[in-house]
Amino acid sequence: MGKSVRLTGLFVIAAIVGLACSSTPGSSSSGGAMTKVRFQLQWVVQAQFAGYNAALDQGYFKDEGLDVTLLPGGPDINNLQVVASGGAELGTSWVPKTLQSREGGTDLVSIAQILQRSGTRMVAFKQANITDPKTMLGKKIGSWLGGNEPELFAAIVKAGGDPTKENVIKQDFNMNAFIAGDIDVAQAMIYNEYAQVLETKNATTGQLYSPNDLNVIDFNDPSIGTAMLQDAIIARESWLKQAGNEDIAVKFLKAAFRGWIYCRDNSQKCADLVVAAGSELKKGHQTWMMNEINGLIWPSPNGIGQLDQAAWDNTINIATTYKVLKAAPNQGAVRTDLAKKALDALGTSVDTKGASFKPTTVTLTEGGN
Amino acid sequence: MTTLVTARASRATAVGRVRGLTDAAPPLAVFIAVVAIWEAALTGLNVRQFLLPKPSVILSAVGDQWSVLQQGLTYTGSEALGGLVVGLVLGIAAAFAIARWSTARELLMPIAVGASSIPIIAFAPITSAWFSSQSPLARIAIVTVMVFFPVVVNTVRGLTNVDPAAIELMRSYAASDVAIMRRLRIPNAMPYFFTALRIAATLAVIGAVIGEYFGGPRYALGIYISSEAYVFRYANAWAGILMACLLGIGFYLVVLALERLAIPWQTAKRAADA
Repeated sequence: MGKSVRLTGLFVIAAIVGLACSSTPGSSSSGGAMTKVRFQLQWVVQAQFAGYNAALDQGYFKDEGLDVTLLPGGPDINNLQVVASGGAELGTSWVPKTLQSREGGTDLVSIAQILQRSGTRMVAFKQANITDPKTMLGKKIGSWLGGNEPELFAAIVKAGGDPTKENVIKQDFNMNAFIAGDIDVAQAMIYNEYAQVLETKNATTGQLYSPNDLNVIDFNDPSIGTAMLQDAIIARESWLKQAGNEDIAVKFLKAAFRGWIYCRDNSQKCADLVVAAGSELKKGHQTWMMNEINGLIWPSPNGIGQLDQAAWDNTINIATTYKVLKAAPNQGAVRTDLAKKALDALGTSVDTKGASFKPTTVTLTEGGN
Repeated sequence: MTTLVTARASRATAVGRVRGLTDAAPPLAVFIAVVAIWEAALTGLNVRQFLLPKPSVILSAVGDQWSVLQQGLTYTGSEALGGLVVGLVLGIAAAFAIARWSTARELLMPIAVGASSIPIIAFAPITSAWFSSQSPLARIAIVTVMVFFPVVVNTVRGLTNVDPAAIELMRSYAASDVAIMRRLRIPNAMPYFFTALRIAATLAVIGAVIGEYFGGPRYALGIYISSEAYVFRYANAWAGILMACLLGIGFYLVVLALERLAIPWQTAKRAADA
């Protein structure tokens, strides 16, 4: 028999044992003791999650009686798997990935929508003459895949292509292949990989790459219109059903919202906090990321964390039309009541909408230092 | 004498064929029973699909995803085959050198041992950097390294582990080294070589799939399995695993067939011994 099957079998057994052994800390404890909450990030420690670092640092979680542990993610950690199997009470995830996991049998539900806009872009060097999804067709298209591809695939279909026939290449979680020219058009988060290109020296000129060297394709652009909702806070339906847990979730959201408001008003401090928390890429990069993340959150027209129903409907519509999902999710996939309660608890003394927010200009240096 | 051997061999092959059928029955029965219990248990215990999908669900995923899986089979299969061929050629060349010259033995054996102790999971990102992760050469290099060691070790043993009396006899007829190699050492090494090839055949598929975790086109089996698992399409991931498994079994069966063609006397001997 193929050894690969045996190997995989081992992994499955290890995974099941891992699940069985991951203990669930007492979610509600008595007598004024702090309630432990584990929060699974969808990626490594970086400014994308600065609001939660700020809520820890500023004591907002403590104010709510919560003892929160932030669990970092990464390429080998499936955030959805961790939350679905009880390795964490709450976590973050892109909305389409959460919905895909529900089709795969989880009971994960989105309870607050942090990013109001999509941060995914496709970037190409100017000389490749790739300016929109149509001109991507037939080229070497990079994607991280693994649930990061729906916006791209939807755009390819809309442009008259077939993602299964296009030359879609699995892209590493850095921009090396793009800079080396192995990929013509690469996937890049505006707050992360895009900056990584701008932090790299062009070997022929000896200068850092500049935005003028790049074409950027934005899925939010109405002419493309395949942007989907990204970072949301997720929980298990079964966890929320247990007595007292909805209350914990509301408290968590309230503190997290305060953290994000803090990071809007103290962008540099939050970038420093993330570096202090052990981010892999350093201060210059985190400052860029914080600024861009703020731009994806603010303004939040309905208040921080509140779902824009039209954006949700659009996400579902794209997901079902372009076969990211087999069918539209049922009612249970999203809840807006908990985020509403958390927002109401914040009161009117703080600006929860950030209507006047304007991103600043961050200058990048080599290597993002 | 030749006719006698041939007659014995063909009789033994015929016996072997019948025996093959009856031999296959018990494992087949066990396999069917396991699949049936798997299906029934998951239905009965209501296990969540993302932990382990039912065999019937996996099978329907194979049908559903066939166009992608087919591309993956071809792509991953050719990577494995490419690496297998390169590893075989290098391995056989090294084995001959080692068997012939003791200096070569001292020079090449440590390299062969070293190659076998490279942790593949650490090596894969490096070959991806050498050849660009998009190039099949990155996986072919991994497979080559994995295949090299068993081929060298087994072939060397076959070439050197020769009955001294037989060599004495050949020498007494004034046979040259080349003649001894051709008529004695190589035939003696054939069963060892095919044993190595059986191991190498399944290793090749594993090496290719692991290498693909670090890059390649979307439909490559390793990438397909990992990215489908990441979005909780576990039935699809298992369908990919099934394909990798079939690929390994396919390679193995081809080696068995080649073995029968190349050294029928050995197959006959095994049947007679049993």
